[in-house]
Amino acid sequence: MKQQLNIVVNGEAYDLFIEPKTLLVQVIRDMLGLKGTHQACDSSSCAACTVVLDGKAVKSCSILALQANGKSVVTVEGLAQGTKLHPIQQAFIDNWAFQCGFCTSGQIMGAKALLDENPNPTREEIQEAMDGHLCRCTGFNMINEAIRDAAKRLQEQKAAESGRVA
Amino acid sequence: MMKEYSVIGKPTPNVDGPAKVTGEAAYTIDMTLPNMLYGKLLRSPYPHAKIISIDISKAEALPGVKAIITGKDTPGGRYGLWRRFRELSDQECLATTKVRYIGDPVAALAATTEEIAEKALDLIEVEYEPLPAVFDPIEAMKEDAPTVHDEFPSNINATRHIEWGDVDEAFAKADYVREDRYVLSPAHPTAMEVHNSLASFDKGTGRLTVWSSTQSPYFLQQGLADALKMREGDIRVIKPHVGGGYGGKNSTMPDSISAALLSMKTGRPVKVVFNRDEEFTATEHRTGQHMAIKIGLKKDGTIVALEIKALTNGGAFTALGATTLYLTGTFGTMPYKIPSYRYDGVRTYTNTVWGTSIRGFGAVPAKFITETQLDRAAHDLGIDPLDIRIKNAVEPGYEAPGQYTFESCAIKPCLEKMKERAKEKWPKLQKDEGIGYAAFAYMSGGIFNWIDTPYAYSSAHVKVNIDGTVDLYTQASDIGQGHNTVAAMICAEELGIGIKDIRLHLGDTAHTYTDLGAWGSRETLMNGNAIKDAAAQVKNKLIEIARLKLGENIAYDLVAKNHRVYLELRPERGLSYYDLVKDAIKANDGVPLTGVGHYTPHNKGMISPAYGMGVLAIKVKVDRETGHVDAKDVLVVHDCGQVINPLGARGQVEGSVHMGLGYGMCEEMPMDQGMVLNPEFVDYKILRTRDMPEIEIIDVPTYEPNGPFGAKEAAEATIAPTAPAFANAVYAAVGAEFYSNVLKPEKVLKAIREAEAKQKANSKAKK
Amino acid sequence: MAYYRCPMCRKICPDHLDLARHYLGQTDKKHKDWLKTQGLSYAKLITDQITEFGNKGYQALADVLKKEAPEVKEI
Repeated sequence: MKQQLNIVVNGEAYDLFIEPKTLLVQVIRDMLGLKGTHQACDSSSCAACTVVLDGKAVKSCSILALQANGKSVVTVEGLAQGTKLHPIQQAFIDNWAFQCGFCTSGQIMGAKALLDENPNPTREEIQEAMDGHLCRCTGFNMINEAIRDAAKRLQEQKAAESGRVA
Repeated sequence: MMKEYSVIGKPTPNVDGPAKVTGEAAYTIDMTLPNMLYGKLLRSPYPHAKIISIDISKAEALPGVKAIITGKDTPGGRYGLWRRFRELSDQECLATTKVRYIGDPVAALAATTEEIAEKALDLIEVEYEPLPAVFDPIEAMKEDAPTVHDEFPSNINATRHIEWGDVDEAFAKADYVREDRYVLSPAHPTAMEVHNSLASFDKGTGRLTVWSSTQSPYFLQQGLADALKMREGDIRVIKPHVGGGYGGKNSTMPDSISAALLSMKTGRPVKVVFNRDEEFTATEHRTGQHMAIKIGLKKDGTIVALEIKALTNGGAFTALGATTLYLTGTFGTMPYKIPSYRYDGVRTYTNTVWGTSIRGFGAVPAKFITETQLDRAAHDLGIDPLDIRIKNAVEPGYEAPGQYTFESCAIKPCLEKMKERAKEKWPKLQKDEGIGYAAFAYMSGGIFNWIDTPYAYSSAHVKVNIDGTVDLYTQASDIGQGHNTVAAMICAEELGIGIKDIRLHLGDTAHTYTDLGAWGSRETLMNGNAIKDAAAQVKNKLIEIARLKLGENIAYDLVAKNHRVYLELRPERGLSYYDLVKDAIKANDGVPLTGVGHYTPHNKGMISPAYGMGVLAIKVKVDRETGHVDAKDVLVVHDCGQVINPLGARGQVEGSVHMGLGYGMCEEMPMDQGMVLNPEFVDYKILRTRDMPEIEIIDVPTYEPNGPFGAKEAAEATIAPTAPAFANAVYAAVGAEFYSNVLKPEKVLKAIREAEAKQKANSKAKK
Repeated sequence: MAYYRCPMCRKICPDHLDLARHYLGQTDKKHKDWLKTQGLSYAKLITDQITEFGNKGYQALADVLKKEAPEVKEI
């Protein structure tokens, strides 16, 4: 029997009617057509499907959509402001932190959750937070550098904003 | 003396960057078409069995099921990548009379949802008669072995012999000879995007369009034409963004064939997506091998003879496995002067999932055995591991008789630079730490035409519009390695414009001339040459007009740079690119400027027109209690000619090291009676971010005359030395010797004990 | 200088070992069947060649070709 799902995705509120066994990733990709979130495994091992759920990085393949009822999800599509890329996205580009790009959305959302919680992580803290993310192209070092760079950019952005407010 | 360029050589962000970081980049797996159906494959549970009957009635009756096909419903075409030898086109659309590996598809169906398709699979009833199966290459060659393909009694799929010099005499005269035997594990490329295809058959024209996660739209077009018995020109293949290939997506596979057949049957688009289990159990991997190697040296460390025997467990089909077999024999000699050499390679069919051309090709197994043996020989002779490599390193102009020649070749400077930098970087080692080295060389695309193409190996079409914008059409593939960016950079450099002026049209067989695809590090050199050629034709038209308008002395050379065409020696005397384009189009009766460039290597030996090469060093720390080895630091010193995009080159080197280190530390595919035992990422371990050491890369620039602007392969090469350098580092640290590639903790502990016992026995003997 | 012709095709080689190498690189039925008439097995020759150092498989065939391969005095 289908059930009601109320969920905010990238700032938009949705009222959906779903089978209880529907996974969050299926709502995101198949019902809302947000294809940026990818799946690369069937065993919750790769974290390519990572989204931010109420501020925490979660594997959307391992959460029933109903568990996100009443909550707020941010996917990779929710980062850019119009045509202006998020500093994390720009840092990934400038540091060549992706190659095939298939795991990239998950990496970026994992990085977002990390930097929201820890704005100035060390290399070790980045590796620990991001250890769940598989990547077959990069060997990870350039991703870690991009995240360090993103942390810097976000702090500069914050400083500029508070400067303006003052 | 390196030239100063405007575009190439400069760190350039990926032209696909914005699409990939915003989730807008469309991969085949993201695509849907109106009225689309979902296809699934029913696969054999047996490694070898006759198909007695298939009853699809119950599955057909399930609401939502729109079509089911079995082997007898297919056009009966046989296909494979080694098309030059027709008997090696050993694959069929769906198994017809028998199945040859666990996972061999026997039926395909299309339904309105994936869920219905999966349910329907369970309703298909297949009666099999299991046959005796064979899983080991030695067993496969025995007289009474079950035959995987009837045309190949004794299952001998391919053989290769290479020999030069008087090998046995050289061994007889050598001061030091050693023989070693190895068993190397299979490994899987594990692309993040699984194999998947979307096919759409046009009922009106009878033409097929297929979108696929492929490394080569052309190979897929050919494979589908052979399998479906259609004309190549009636098949259009479009390669969207691809989530990784690493050699596992060169072949035409059951996803594209069944999607095509189901679309042709239903008249609707059909998408077939493998799951991760199918990806591990039923797609191509790097084969396991039994190898033997014998080396003869003078007491000063000069190599006088080398012999390698490689027996490969090919699996159920050939794919590019025969190429890997050949290249194992050639890469085994590089980058050293080998006066006498013998190689025998044999690939057998077995009833297992089959191997092909995975990243590094035959260089990976070949370098593992040669570089680890060389270190042991060096140790026995009392020679430093880097010194023995310097002593034997090739020089520019070196020719391996009848096989290959090195034109640009800076392996000696790389080794010397490595010696200097390693000492500086790692002045002192802690207890149980060690540094291991391995030298390497690798191809920039292959020469042998096993695909039997009549076309130039790479082509490109440049069109310049009235406003100076450029459309670049080429079939070349970016599968993550960054070729789209390299293609734009080469075109921009040649025309003297920026990459922002260029729109790329890549990977669509209907709109482009042929390129053979992304494998063997061929795109930068081969496609780069074709693009440069095409752009040069346009540039020359602009230069003609500029020469006329400027009216300067005929002796002056003109160059195109920074949106101008000007005298090289008097840069202030020139004309705007934009004005010249308008003039040239006017002068050409209003026809946009075009250039079509082609490249096929000629007279460049049997292997490749050019080789990247270098040496990799890795520092490890061994835990004697647990056997765990920590890879602490990596240093690569390599000659990759003129680097086109330093960012992309670095990314590829690091990715190669990741996969190479995995081959040395933790990646394996144990099989039991043909069943892959670890078909998920939970059990198939690939290295994660915490496992990866920092990697320092030093370029030793050269100019490769066969490559665009002096470029050649950069970085796929680095996968091959990583695992042997890792094993050599453990050997240096604790004396442990390895004759297989996956150095798991229990294996390391065993090897340490054996080394300690050997040392004890040696010191007793000395007393 | 003497040359020797392959018993099953037109290939000519300067010595019997070279001819054996050529022979075992041929994968057609004709070449494989002739080996059987000589009491040799294609698979055994290949197995010997791949499992031991040296040219054991080629040498065994070369020894037979010494008797069976016709000599060609001039090319």
